[in-house]
Amino acid sequence: MMKKSNLINDRKLAFRFHFPAFFVLLFITLIPLLYTFRLSLFNYQLSIPGSDKEFIGLANYIELIHDAEFFKSIGITLLYVFVSVFVEIVIGIIIALILNKIPFMRRIFTSAILIPMMIAPLVIGLMFSFFTNPQFGLYSYIVNYFELPLPTVLTDKPAIALVTLMIMDIWEWAPYMALVFLSGLQSIEGEFYEAAEIDGANGRQIFWKVTIPLMKPIIAVSGLLRAMECLKEFDKPYIFTGGGPGNATEVIDLFTYKQAFTQFRFSYASALCVVLFITLIVLGVFYEKFTMKEN
Amino acid sequence: MIINRHHKLKVTLAYLFLIAFILFTLMPYAWMILTSFKKRVDAFAIPPKIFFDATLSNYYDVFITKGMIKNLGNSIIVMLVSVAIVMILGLPSAFAFSRFRTKADTILLNFLLGTKFTPFVVMALPLYLIMSRIGLLDTYFGIIVAHVAFNLPFCIWMMKGFFDAVPKSLDEAARVDGYSWFRSFISIDISLAKSGIAATAVFCAINSWNEFLMALILTGRTTATMPVAVPGLVTPRGTLWGQVAAVSTVITVPVLIFAFLVQKHMVSGLTMGAVK
Repeated sequence: MMKKSNLINDRKLAFRFHFPAFFVLLFITLIPLLYTFRLSLFNYQLSIPGSDKEFIGLANYIELIHDAEFFKSIGITLLYVFVSVFVEIVIGIIIALILNKIPFMRRIFTSAILIPMMIAPLVIGLMFSFFTNPQFGLYSYIVNYFELPLPTVLTDKPAIALVTLMIMDIWEWAPYMALVFLSGLQSIEGEFYEAAEIDGANGRQIFWKVTIPLMKPIIAVSGLLRAMECLKEFDKPYIFTGGGPGNATEVIDLFTYKQAFTQFRFSYASALCVVLFITLIVLGVFYEKFTMKEN
Repeated sequence: MIINRHHKLKVTLAYLFLIAFILFTLMPYAWMILTSFKKRVDAFAIPPKIFFDATLSNYYDVFITKGMIKNLGNSIIVMLVSVAIVMILGLPSAFAFSRFRTKADTILLNFLLGTKFTPFVVMALPLYLIMSRIGLLDTYFGIIVAHVAFNLPFCIWMMKGFFDAVPKSLDEAARVDGYSWFRSFISIDISLAKSGIAATAVFCAINSWNEFLMALILTGRTTATMPVAVPGLVTPRGTLWGQVAAVSTVITVPVLIFAFLVQKHMVSGLTMGAVK
């Protein structure tokens, strides 16, 4: 990854340049994280005075593995992440292939598809609430006008609300996948295609036997990265239905947030945070191993 | 001849498909922007109106009458201050990763990567508890700290790449001329990595501007940023969607303008980690 021979090996000098950033990070990320871990071993709840000093060991973690709501939230999150990212990859590949084929004006199209991923996720949630409002939303109007076999109320049934959230995420991130895959496609050497054409392969064979195998690493890495981001979803379900109907769209970050800020069970929420943190770090190690191998 | 015509047809179809895809994708967004300029009767008209008398009354009502301008100011303050701090702290560190080698590099880089992967709720909960204990909830300090916490690692990662692209021979030449490393960093590397710095700053600014969860937890009545204040307009007794649309437009349009200004770097920043 780094060409070691060119770099200056001077510990004191490096320390001086690194010090400001890492000194601050120590206080604003590392210490808060350690504080969370410590708190997860206590019984701190806002409703019980003095409970922040009551050490209870791993009781929060034990409660966690018996918490059906927690596992339901994990299930919802995994379903949400898996479906959203899978569809984003498929749409991304299709759009990237088409963008790669067109001879001119590619820049205009890539600019236009940058728009969704630049919009604040909170605004995306608001925008879809508005767009699909049963009384005056354009979506409902179109569905009624053309008598399409689609629901007009999207917030009252668990499955429909979850699918709507997936569509929002796909709306936001499928264009991003297209941009990633486009740069991947452009890095494939033309000779692979020439060789395939000389061998008399048709379009479909070239796609499955040349493009996809060569794109596999980039699909895996960007899919993993996107999945890790998607696991942290909060804004869109918060604003769309607040996790409802019931808790049908209560993804894990929203579940944790509610434990902390509507139940005020700070220690229990801390235990959740520790579990989330470890999960993401494990995925991060996978990600790093994978990109290292590619390099 | 036939192959050529076949090819042309294919290309035309590709363009049509792309145009349809983009129109379809941008429809909800365009709809929202249009609504922000509609009077109340037009916004709720059935069938929906595409042509109408444009008005700025939604903007006036929400920003002036309801005081959203205060939240706009908060968003700008938090964004500018946190980005300035991030750049001042981050640039030297990114430069050091690009030029010097120490045994701690791997640990430090992994630490940065780890903070990048940490869910915001995991960072925000302890910050909330610490801030409430020392009485810093609902202060600019609290929310700026939180925004520095997630933007700083990002800035170092992104800037390391831009400093790598500045030829090392230039530093060496400056060193021969008697420049200190710090002076060489300030007067040579920073000015040569200018466009990268601009792109990184824009990136961090957008992250801060769009951020919701931490602001929701750490700000209050006096420091709420725009994303935190908008949900307050959505009420069970009736939502003034025209005003929601107006604020949403003000949140999103500047981002798009800045994103297009640094578009080339924007794509590389966005795809960082996914593409080499």
